[in-house]
Amino acid sequence: MKIAPTRFDKGENRMTARALKPWLFLLPALTIYLIVIFVPSLYTFYLSFFKWNGVAADKVFVGLDNYADLILHDSVFARALKNNLLWTAGSLILMIGIGLMLALLLNKRIKGRIVFRGIFYFPYVLSGVIVATSWAWMYNPTQGFVNKLLETIGLESWTRAWLADPETALYAVFIAALWQGVGQPMVLFLAGLQTIPHDPYEAAVLDGAKPYQSFWYITFPLLRETLVIVVATTMIASMKVYDIIYAMTGGGPAESTQVLSSWMYYQTFKFANIGTGSAISFFLVLITMVVIIPYVYYTTKRSHL
Amino acid sequence: MEIRQPSWPVQALRYGVLIVLAVIFLVPIVFIAFTALKSRSDLLTSPFYALPEKFQWGNFAKAWNQGKMGMYMKNTALISVIKVPLGILVEALAAFALTRLNFKWSNAMFAFFLIGMMIPMQATLVPLNIFLNKTHLVSTYPGIILIYIGFGIPFGILILRGFFRTIPKEIDEAALIDGCGDIGKFFRVILPLSMPAIATLVILDFMATWNEFLLAQIFITKDSMRTITTGLLSFRGEHSTDYTLMNAGVLLSIIPILVVYLLFQKYFVSGLTGSVKG
Repeated sequence: MKIAPTRFDKGENRMTARALKPWLFLLPALTIYLIVIFVPSLYTFYLSFFKWNGVAADKVFVGLDNYADLILHDSVFARALKNNLLWTAGSLILMIGIGLMLALLLNKRIKGRIVFRGIFYFPYVLSGVIVATSWAWMYNPTQGFVNKLLETIGLESWTRAWLADPETALYAVFIAALWQGVGQPMVLFLAGLQTIPHDPYEAAVLDGAKPYQSFWYITFPLLRETLVIVVATTMIASMKVYDIIYAMTGGGPAESTQVLSSWMYYQTFKFANIGTGSAISFFLVLITMVVIIPYVYYTTKRSHL
Repeated sequence: MEIRQPSWPVQALRYGVLIVLAVIFLVPIVFIAFTALKSRSDLLTSPFYALPEKFQWGNFAKAWNQGKMGMYMKNTALISVIKVPLGILVEALAAFALTRLNFKWSNAMFAFFLIGMMIPMQATLVPLNIFLNKTHLVSTYPGIILIYIGFGIPFGILILRGFFRTIPKEIDEAALIDGCGDIGKFFRVILPLSMPAIATLVILDFMATWNEFLLAQIFITKDSMRTITTGLLSFRGEHSTDYTLMNAGVLLSIIPILVVYLLFQKYFVSGLTGSVKG
C-alpha cells in the first residue's frame, strides 16, 4: 500500500510498473548471466554432437560419436578420468583427514593458535599457478629442495626427476595441492568444532570415556554437517582441478597427469577438436551435477537456504 | 573442547607436532625467498639451506621490469579493482529484486541463477571465444571483466540473497514511510545494512579474481595485457634457466597477497567458512 502518491498511481500503469520493477533490477545480472554462462553452455552442448575445428564454415554432424570415441577409443581420456578419481580419493582421505587433524590440534586454547592457523591456511589464498611454480622449483632435479635434502641426509638413491617421471608426477603434484589445500577443510572443521558444547565431553569423562571414544561418539557425529559440506566441495574441486596441474606439468609427462579439465583444454585449444572438447566439458557438467544435486537437496532439507 | 587441563607432556607434544608441521608448511616459501635473494653463483656453490651470501635485492627490480612482473601486477590490480565492486553491485541489484520487490518468480529465478554454479567454466569457453572475437573484445579489459562478472553472479546472488533475507521487513516499511523509493531503499537502507556480507564477498571475490587462471589464459592473448597468473607462466618459460630471477618473480607475486592476508586474515577465514555454511 503506497502512502506517497507517484505518477504510476493512475490506472493500469500502476500494475505494469510494479510488475516491471523487479525485472529492471534483475536486468544487468540476468543479461550478463545469459551471455556468459547460460547460452554458451547450451551452445557447447550443441557443439559436442559435431566435428569442427573452430574455423571451418561447416560443422559435420556426428551424433554421439564424439562421446563414444572418448569412452571407447581415447586412452588419454580414460587416463584423465582415472587421474580425477585418484585425485578425488586422495583428497577425500588426505586433504580432509589432515585438515581434520590440524583442526583438532588447534581446537584448544593454546598460545599462538592464530599464528599456526594462519600458516596452515595461507597457501590456500595463493593461486594454483603460484603454488605450481613454487613446487616445481622444490622438485627441481638438480637444485630443488626435495632432492637436495635427500642428498644431504644420505638418501641420494631416492632422488629422481619427480615431475618428469610418469610414475611419480601425479603424486608429486598432489603433494603440492595438499600443501595448498588442507587449510580449507581445516578452517571449516575448526568452525564446526567451535559449535560443539562442553557438556557431552564432561559427561563422557565422568563416565570414564577415553579421548578416542570422546572423539568417535561425540565429536564425529556432531561434525556431520560440516563434513557434508567439506566432502561435497572437495569432490567438486577434485573433478574440476586444472590450474595447478596445467601449470606444473601441462598434463605430462606422456599425458600421465592429464585430468578432464586439462585434456579438454588440449583437445579444444591445441588440437582444435571442438566437438571432442565440448563432449569432455559435458562429462564434467554431468559429474558435477551428480555431486551437487544430492548435496543441495540434503542441505536445503536441513537448513533454510 | 575438554575442560580438564591436559597434562603438560600432552601439551608439549601438541606444540611439538604443531611446530614441526608449521615449519614444513613454511619451507616452500622460505626456500623461494632464499633462492630469490641469492646470486647465480651463490646458488650453485652454497648449500641449499644456507642464507644468501649477499642479499641480491636487484633480482626483484629485474623481475619487475625486464621480467614484466610489474606490468602483470598492474593489469591484475586494474581488473580486480573494477570487477569486484561492479560485480557486487550487479549481484546486489538482483538479490534485491529477488527478496524485496514482491517478485512472483523469485524462487524460480533464484534456482535459474543457481544452475550456473553447476556449470564448469570449460563448458562455456568455445562459445565465449567466438563471442569475444566477434565483438572484438579479446584481450581487452571490458571483455575479461564481463566474463569474470558473469561467473561471479551465481555465488554472489547466493550470498547476498541469503543475507538480504535476514533483514526484517519492518525496515522496508519504515523506509517507505520516510518517502524512500526503491532505489533509495536499495542504496541507503539495504546496502549499508549488508556490509558484513559485502565485506566477505569483497575479500572472496578479490582473491578469486586475482588468482584466476583458465579464463585469463584463453581470453587474454596479448602479453601486455596478461595477469599475474598467466604472466607468471610465461615468465617462467622465458627465464626458466635463471633460477634466482625466476624465484624473485614468484616471490613478487606472493608478497601482495601475503600483505593483504596478514592484515585481513580473519576476514578470509570467517568469510570462507561463513559463506560455505550458507
